[in-house]
Amino acid sequence: MERLPRLVAAILVALMVAWGAAPLSAQVRGVTPTEVILGTSAPLSGPAAAWGITAIAAKTYLDLINEAGGIHGRTIRLEIRDDAYLPPRAVANVRELAERVGVFAIVGIIGSANAFAVRDYAYQQELFWMTPAIDSHIWIGYPGNRYVYTVYPDYYEEARIFTRYAVETLGAQRLAVFYQNDQYGLAGLEGVQDEIARLGDRARLVAEVPYEVSDTDLAAHAQRLQSSGADAVIIYATPNHGAMIAQAMARIGYHPHRLATFTLGDATIMTALAGEAWEGVISAGYFPLPDEDPVVAAALERVAQREPSLRAMAYNALAGISFVEPFVEALRRAGPDLTRESFVEAIESLQDWDGEVIRKVTFGPDRHQGINRIYLTQIQNGRAVVISDWITYPVGF
Amino acid sequence: MLQYLLNGIATGALYSVIALGIVLVYRTSRLLNFAHGDLAMVAVFLVWSFSRPLGFPGAVAVALLAATALGAAFSFGVLQQVKEATLLGQVVLTLGFSQVLSGAALVVWGADSKPFPFPLSSVVTYRLGGAVISQLTLGSLVIALVLMAGLYLLIQQTRVGLAMRAYSQDPEAARLLGLPTRRLLAFTWGVAALLGTAAGMLLAPVTFLHPYFMLTPFLKGFTAAVLGGLDSVPGAIVGGLLLGVMESLFAGYVSLRFVSTLSFALIVVMLLVRPEGLLGRVFQRRV
Repeated sequence: MERLPRLVAAILVALMVAWGAAPLSAQVRGVTPTEVILGTSAPLSGPAAAWGITAIAAKTYLDLINEAGGIHGRTIRLEIRDDAYLPPRAVANVRELAERVGVFAIVGIIGSANAFAVRDYAYQQELFWMTPAIDSHIWIGYPGNRYVYTVYPDYYEEARIFTRYAVETLGAQRLAVFYQNDQYGLAGLEGVQDEIARLGDRARLVAEVPYEVSDTDLAAHAQRLQSSGADAVIIYATPNHGAMIAQAMARIGYHPHRLATFTLGDATIMTALAGEAWEGVISAGYFPLPDEDPVVAAALERVAQREPSLRAMAYNALAGISFVEPFVEALRRAGPDLTRESFVEAIESLQDWDGEVIRKVTFGPDRHQGINRIYLTQIQNGRAVVISDWITYPVGF
Repeated sequence: MLQYLLNGIATGALYSVIALGIVLVYRTSRLLNFAHGDLAMVAVFLVWSFSRPLGFPGAVAVALLAATALGAAFSFGVLQQVKEATLLGQVVLTLGFSQVLSGAALVVWGADSKPFPFPLSSVVTYRLGGAVISQLTLGSLVIALVLMAGLYLLIQQTRVGLAMRAYSQDPEAARLLGLPTRRLLAFTWGVAALLGTAAGMLLAPVTFLHPYFMLTPFLKGFTAAVLGGLDSVPGAIVGGLLLGVMESLFAGYVSLRFVSTLSFALIVVMLLVRPEGLLGRVFQRRV
């Protein structure tokens, strides 16, 4: 009988502890007095593992903020799960993050197929989603886009800008597209098609050449492009395949203008891979380059000192930082009383806001596409040189 | 047309070399080695790592030795030690080995693509009739042919080759006759790893080096082996060349979009129509 009171006391204590913790976590998922929890699913292994670096960079950036005291007494924890670039695993990861870990928001997620697989579930769970790294165009008209806040450019609009530049500035008349045979590449292809239709007789689309991510031999692709007689080739591919097609074209003595999407904009990586064959390629950027902007350079240096592996993939690392910057600013603005409503109000108050990496971000009740501008670069002597002003495109959602 | 043929033969020759490694192991142990590609991948990474301190030839020597040793060690140290493993169990072991290798490569060398230094240039080209061939492609073709010839000599003209053939025809009898079967198996695995590594080194300058760069080539090599007959050495060569040429022509004249599907469709058709492969022995089980 002596044991019973002790047992009762133990149960009471346990209940009190549970009670004390429960109301807060029940009120706002992923928020406690000391912590905000974010989650992401990223390709840490598998063929797209190089892009997983964005998640590592985001985490490193947040860790540095945490060490400086966090935001309003809260640290920001980013839970990373590996999806190996496989959509079913991305779904399982996000389910776990939402239901078991209980995250306030998800960040990033690379790959159109993965984000598509997650999209409906995230909407159903009313998960905030900061910058899915996919074509922004897919959110237009989607009801769940009210939980999405993105500072990622739009492949479709970029392709239209490339097309216009190729025809009007470079004087190209016969265009070809080399694209990845999935939603990513198709967004680019569609942009080129639409813009060519708009330009009328001034240019023709003479070849649409798809490849698969698993392809390791692009000789036939290069030949198709060459025999089409295109004088400008627009490239929507992985960095690997972009470098491979550039070399394959050079190998058969085919030297058209080449315009490659901003995901291939890292001059260091692309020149290391493709060498001479990447010289002269036109690409795009959506945040200032580190060697042109000291603030970006300083941000890169800070995370790279903490995590040296980020240095080799500067562009991906900076993209990773840009995924979380607006979120951190929103936390700052939301104040100590963080709720879903105060977060929305805070993030939608961002007007022409400059982060360290991402600049001129504007959100609002009817605007969730935070940026709508890119600039063009060209590889000259192995370095990316800015060759245009900022070019804006219509805000989609 | 000539260009597509030439591209096809060049790629096909590399498929053949990969297929040879798969066939060699299959002939001796009736085992599909799913770690073949990853073993080669690790070895090519070793070349990359050692080519700075040792120079390219030194690094190649180290990597070839390491791959051979690793292949032999896996056969000797793992596969043969597992008591009473079924054939399927052993195949699963090779799958596990492949995961270990690719995971280790990810940790050691990272996920980013690296350019692979190779003494032959892929940009210097020669004209051949109406077609263009790069120095690298030409070199690959020559090296692949030399490897094939070397393997032929090894199997047909040496005592080890004779022992390998004997073992593949009747392992039980070979053992009873006093052949050192364990060492023979390890040797076969070593040679297979060496072939895979050679193919990997010829592929890496084009596909770039990352922990998954051998995945697709391995699957193509596997297709080539099934096409030619899993237990036939000439079959692997014919299968590889055939696959390379078919893919290239298909990509050029039919559809680029379905070219990756082609090889898998071929496996299915081949297994349905002629499961033993073009040059394989008809499979018989004595009762």
